[in-house]
Amino acid sequence: MDGGITNLTTEERTNCQRLTPLTTANLLDSVDAFLFDCDGVIWKGDALIDGVSDTLDTLRALGKKLVFVTNNSTKSRRQYAKKFHSVGISVSEDEIFSSSFAAAMYLKVIDFPKEKKVYVIGEEGIGEELQLAGFTSLGGPEDGKKTVQLRPNYLFEHDKSVGAVVVGLDQYINYYKLQYATLCIRENPGCLFIATNRDAVGHLTDLQEWPGAGCMVAAVCGSTQKEPIVVGKPSTFLMEFLLKKFNIPTSRMCMVGDRLDTDILFGQNAGCRTLLVLSGVTDISDLQDSKNHIRPEYFADKVSDIIRFIQ
Amino acid sequence: MLTTKLSAAVAVSSSSSTLFLNPQNRFNFSKRIPSVANPSLCNSLRPIVEWSLSKRKMDASASLRAVSPRASAEQLKDPDQLIDSVETFIFDCDGVIWKGDKLIDGVPETLDMLRSKGKRLVFVTNNSTKSRKQYGKKFETLGLSVSEEEIFASSFAAAAYLKSIDFPKDKKVYVVGEDGILKELELAGIQYLGGPEDGEKKIELKPGFMMEHDENVGAVVVGFDRYFNYYKIQYATLCIRENPGCLFIATNRDAVTHLTDAQEWAGGGSMVGAVRGSTQREPLVVGKPSTFMMDYLANKFGISKSQICMVGDRLDTDILFGQNGGCKTLLVLSGVTSLSMLQNPDNTIQPDFYTNKISDFLSLKTAAV
Repeated sequence: MDGGITNLTTEERTNCQRLTPLTTANLLDSVDAFLFDCDGVIWKGDALIDGVSDTLDTLRALGKKLVFVTNNSTKSRRQYAKKFHSVGISVSEDEIFSSSFAAAMYLKVIDFPKEKKVYVIGEEGIGEELQLAGFTSLGGPEDGKKTVQLRPNYLFEHDKSVGAVVVGLDQYINYYKLQYATLCIRENPGCLFIATNRDAVGHLTDLQEWPGAGCMVAAVCGSTQKEPIVVGKPSTFLMEFLLKKFNIPTSRMCMVGDRLDTDILFGQNAGCRTLLVLSGVTDISDLQDSKNHIRPEYFADKVSDIIRFIQ
Repeated sequence: MLTTKLSAAVAVSSSSSTLFLNPQNRFNFSKRIPSVANPSLCNSLRPIVEWSLSKRKMDASASLRAVSPRASAEQLKDPDQLIDSVETFIFDCDGVIWKGDKLIDGVPETLDMLRSKGKRLVFVTNNSTKSRKQYGKKFETLGLSVSEEEIFASSFAAAAYLKSIDFPKDKKVYVVGEDGILKELELAGIQYLGGPEDGEKKIELKPGFMMEHDENVGAVVVGFDRYFNYYKIQYATLCIRENPGCLFIATNRDAVTHLTDAQEWAGGGSMVGAVRGSTQREPLVVGKPSTFMMDYLANKFGISKSQICMVGDRLDTDILFGQNGGCKTLLVLSGVTSLSMLQNPDNTIQPDFYTNKISDFLSLKTAAV
């Protein structure tokens, strides 16, 4: 292959074929950048998945660009770089595109006024990215300790200068935060409702799945009856930043993820090649279920299958 | 054995409600995205859940769409005509009888007048925090004489629903909600777990940690819960996803509610939303606008629905409830709905009548004389 653009038909893009020696060689020839999801692809909780380290090293040695696109908003890019380091993988901050980063970038792109504040239902990552981008945030983990008093003459106050509410995964979710976010969205004119992502569940520990941001976001949808602007996968918002960084056409990028309705949909919407790995939330029966309408180009057991057939 | 097939457990793809930024023009951010929330995204008055059950004696199979567009609501001018045309009045509580803990003006006299005319009074509330007995006490402290048998709270509805489907005695119910639900389940002889005390429980997301859950949980009931936390969401999620046939029941899906007289508070719709978000399943709703409670009380009291007038302050629960049940409907503006909300062109739910508050039954009469 000469580095030209591969024009696949829709059928080819959704072939859902297991990786073979031939298709792997083909893929490696026609792709310049691999975009990896993290939870269920690189690690599960804090445990690195087998063979990941070797795979990333091999791909780098082949001259491939590596990028990590994660919907998990609990950490900032800087905190993710630290996590990679702690599992023995060297990745630089600017190769990481977390949904926490996406939320801050979205506000930047729309010129969110600096005098307005952002209320956060989420963990440290969102707060840190907002601060780095020059925004003032309220809420976050410390509101996890607050309670409400439901009694006459008690008024639950909220800051009228909150112009956006950002909702992501929050293991410290509580009624105080739900009420605060609800009042901001319903009562502050023009207040934005932004979701980092809507993943239903994820492997926050190695042993089982846990409710994801989709849960917190749906809670706020339930009390405001509004739909959020979603900045993480499958929204292609982050792709803008990736394109600026690499100047590689999306058809020469391959999205590798474990979730159909975020990772694969993101890849397809952006015009990338797609590879589903079965090391995370999706198993073969989910993929083959007749109710599933999202089909990747390829699937494999895990990331290390990409280099399995290299001689 | 749970014999009823419940067809409402529809998998919901989270991508269906995801917005794509600039879907037509994905990579063009040189054009600034407006910083004002798109008003067309606001769907505050859209009926929410579709729920269909196989036919049973307590047939609660009304699906919850707004009825075909009807003429605009009429302002109530002649209360006598309305009162004479029905035999039973069903009242919502929050925003109709009281606001928080304060009685709304003129309520006692109005209820007395209706009773003196031989009308049956029933109180149907989506608020699941109290049991019927506890509500009876609230009515009493406010100086209203209402008996437990006249009160139908969504906490009671959840227990009554489980009884109606012969929920097995060896199965348990996990509760994301408050005391009212627990008390009603207990009265109905149903075992439960969860409730307010799980609000103290914490989780630690660390390697090797596994949250266990009781495999005998056959139903999760979700309602308003001020002690809401991640532990409960995970417990409920595990039960629904992993216990075969586990039911997901919502007492109600009200977005906001007047828990105090001073302001609105995030309602049961929020907690139910959270569990929908993580399970991607739709719940069976037992409270308004589902007609389960209407069917139950019509059956219990032997009333025909055309002889009922539903009085409430909320379009997408109270009025829709009345319409789905085939009753007359009267909206009062003493609660969450204002006249401009009623008359907003985006609103598709039109009651038969509207008026300021229920004591208008008395004051309008006087004016008409």
